Amino acid sequence: MTIISFAVALVGFVIFAPVLGCLLAGVDRIVSARLQGRVGPVLLQPYYDVRKLLAKENRSVNGYQEFYIVLSLAFAILSGVFFFAGGNFLLVLFVLTLSSLFFIIAAYSARSPYADAGAQREIIQIASYEPMTILLCVTFFMATNTFNVSEVFNRDLPLVATLPLVFAAFLFILTIKLRKSPFDLSYSHHAHQELVKGITTEMSGRTLALVEITHWYESILFMGWVALFFIWNTMLAIPVVIIAVLLIYFLEVFIDNTFARVKWQAMLFWSWTVTIICCLLNIIYLIVLGYLG
Amino acid sequence: MVIVGFLITLPLLAALLLLVVRNDRVRAPLVIGAGSLTMLGSLALAVLYLFSPGIYVKIPAPYSEIISYATVAVSCICCLYVLVKGARNSKPLAVFLAALQLVFVLILEFGAAHDVEVKNDLYIDQLSVIMALVIGIIGSGICIYAVGYMRDFQHHLEQHAATHHHARLDSGYQALEHHAKDRRHIFFALMFVFLSAMYMIVFSNNLTWLLCGWEVTTVCSFALIGYTRTREAIDNSFRQIVMNLIGGLGFVMALMLLSSHDIKILELDRLIAFGSLNGGIGLVGLPVLLLSLAGFTKAAQMPFQSWLLGAMVAPTPTSALLHSSTKVKAGVFILIKLAPVFAFNLNGLVVILVGGLTFFFCSALAISQSNAKRVLAYSTVANLGLIVACAGVGTPEAVWAAIFLLIFHAAAKSLLFCCVGTAEHHIASRDIEDMDAIFTRLPRLALLMALGMFCMFIAPFGMLISKWATIVTMVDTGNIPLLFLLAFGSALTFVFWAKWLGKVLAVAQGGSNTEHHIHKSEWFALGLMSLLAVGLAIGLPWVSEGVVVPYLSAVASGFSGDVSSWAEITISTYSLPGAIVGENSNLRAAIGFNDLLIMATIALALIIVFAIKFLRRPKEPTSSIYLGGVGIDSSKRSFINALSTTSVSTQRNWYMESLFGEKVMTSFANVLVIAVMVLGAIAIYVGFGGVL
Repeated sequence: MTIISFAVALVGFVIFAPVLGCLLAGVDRIVSARLQGRVGPVLLQPYYDVRKLLAKENRSVNGYQEFYIVLSLAFAILSGVFFFAGGNFLLVLFVLTLSSLFFIIAAYSARSPYADAGAQREIIQIASYEPMTILLCVTFFMATNTFNVSEVFNRDLPLVATLPLVFAAFLFILTIKLRKSPFDLSYSHHAHQELVKGITTEMSGRTLALVEITHWYESILFMGWVALFFIWNTMLAIPVVIIAVLLIYFLEVFIDNTFARVKWQAMLFWSWTVTIICCLLNIIYLIVLGYLG
Repeated sequence: MVIVGFLITLPLLAALLLLVVRNDRVRAPLVIGAGSLTMLGSLALAVLYLFSPGIYVKIPAPYSEIISYATVAVSCICCLYVLVKGARNSKPLAVFLAALQLVFVLILEFGAAHDVEVKNDLYIDQLSVIMALVIGIIGSGICIYAVGYMRDFQHHLEQHAATHHHARLDSGYQALEHHAKDRRHIFFALMFVFLSAMYMIVFSNNLTWLLCGWEVTTVCSFALIGYTRTREAIDNSFRQIVMNLIGGLGFVMALMLLSSHDIKILELDRLIAFGSLNGGIGLVGLPVLLLSLAGFTKAAQMPFQSWLLGAMVAPTPTSALLHSSTKVKAGVFILIKLAPVFAFNLNGLVVILVGGLTFFFCSALAISQSNAKRVLAYSTVANLGLIVACAGVGTPEAVWAAIFLLIFHAAAKSLLFCCVGTAEHHIASRDIEDMDAIFTRLPRLALLMALGMFCMFIAPFGMLISKWATIVTMVDTGNIPLLFLLAFGSALTFVFWAKWLGKVLAVAQGGSNTEHHIHKSEWFALGLMSLLAVGLAIGLPWVSEGVVVPYLSAVASGFSGDVSSWAEITISTYSLPGAIVGENSNLRAAIGFNDLLIMATIALALIIVFAIKFLRRPKEPTSSIYLGGVGIDSSKRSFINALSTTSVSTQRNWYMESLFGEKVMTSFANVLVIAVMVLGAIAIYVGFGGVL
């Protein structure tokens, strides 16, 4: 990561990520509606929702919650900038964890029973996916000999060829990260799943708008992680990446609409099991590859 | 070199004085004065030696003889003290171990060790200066903190005794006045002896001198844990002594083997040089394993973690001292010193697995605890496990991570213990659930507590950076089992910190501030530790470049004349891009300087933003919280329910005992770690005969 790549990523990510993220959310809602046999809202509905939230009178349960949410958004953006600047994968991961932590603190700060319950569930969600994200970085290093994500542009084959099982396990926990059912324990866009409003129970108006915007940024960041597996050193990679990302996102929406929420025990058990098995097998595969070539 | 003598003797003299002075008014300036002098002495030492290569010193003949006899005498007195105490409290195991230890020490000193020539008795290198700073600043800071704390402690004790006086006398129990008797002079004296012994450990090159410091810390913590003289305190103090005597026996036996005809080495630097030259196996295999056993017990690694958990019965400054700057840090210090001997051999593997498993299981166990001090204790054991594992990996990069873990853990953990101790005196509980709304009642204390937690587990603060370096080293060296333990353990770490942090930062609508009762000496220590934690997080890149990396290159390029094979081993086994090379100039930290700089910048920005936010008056709430009915009082969470009666909503954090409870996990984990140790020992013993 150089100063120039950082500057380019900063401008690019800050401006384009929310636009793309918002469109993605719009597509999500239309596809979900069609899967449920409804027409669904217009493509820009998420944007209208956020604009309306921003225009609302600002009411809050304490003077700190919005502060934490702003920090959560700021670190989500910073993490994305580091990622798209081709920086150190672990750095990206740790800054993103900081963002998640501030989101949790924001919920806890309200000292409300429902927000607390949401926050606890969010913590369990992080415990479920965090090992996989660390092992993702680790296996990335094992495959490429560096933690710098820009390395994928120098490869002769896309990463998915060397890390197929890691990719599969990553998809598993991506469902948690994108807040999709069956792992949308702490907060869901589907009203029927919800315990009041989960972790965002006490958030409203501008604060809630910021949460939504954070989600847009995060979605694009995670799609970037997906793209990481499909990039290699030819121009052919561009259409492949676009198709792969769209397919994966559709898959997530499909899963979201076909599964009912599970209990936290099941989420923790399955994500850890999948992580251990897939990563272990893939590491063995990497070692074998190393011996062969 | 005079300054080393100053640092070892000053706390001793202070201890003697404090033993005599029983007036609290006189004691306070004395403790503050002695603490400040120790602090200044450590700083002076840092100014003189922090940026220079290590020096080794031979104490002239008659003096070194005298000191040697004195150390033997002290070791024997320690054993005798435990013998007598054990006999009086009818603890046969402690008596047996102490007697055995006494015999072994005498055999060692007047038998084999007598003929071994020791070239250099003392040394100062950058690691020992770092340790001296940790002991001098944090240790003394805790002693100063104790001035105010013990005043409240004694007050509570006397009140308690007064209210329960009659009930207890009737039941024929030990009279409670006995417990409430003012024994603070002993307490403060012991705290300072502790500091002195720690200095002895970090500066001694002569292993028999080191042993003396080792024994003194064991006996000091024994006395401190039993300070309140309740049944529980006495039992726990004996648990401590039994476990640490096992380690102490390991230490003495290691020295006996080392002083035998085949090796004849009783110096730390030569042991490390000789050991790493032989790849850590052969003749040094067994003694090094025994020394690591001593390190495990002192650092409370599984299955020895219970002594540290039991140590909580002592007044909080004791816990703060044990956890942050002394005792357990002596355990990891010796393992970090031995790291070159562990690089890529069976001994190292045992150390890695013990540390890694301890990290994972203790992080999980911490989730199930609602007692704040127990959470802190498990977190300490877990983090020490990480340090131990890094030492076991043994490459310079791993040692880099271990040293930073040690430094940051010391700063953050002492801050947290002192915060919890002060909070306990104000909310009359150390339970995390009772810390509900502490942000409203004790706002500044809650913020410092939150700061301590941030420093413990989240980027951009020190512990996380060190963990980052750990991950990099483990990948570099291909330690796949440890990577898994680390990945999953880290997630568990997040769980118990995040839920506690949330509780501490929860804002109650209404409620009053009761913070003005906190003593000045407590604020001073809390401020000092916060500054240290934050300053180190921001200054990390420069500490790394200026101190730790030069230290590692010095170690890699040789020990006081003997050429080390440490660098060769690491290079020949792993020549990955990040790996450290023997030439001084090429030695790097596991994390690039730029990435360290980014983290330091984020830390600085975060501190500034928080300072601006929390120094201003917060906006008043404009809305009450949702309670599933018509709200009455948000701070009490009471509301009118659907039946038009009043309900109160309660909420507890999750402790998930069915998954992470002590009943579920402890015995299983202990057996697992013991199995690792036993299998490792057998393998090394077989290798001792030449099979490996």
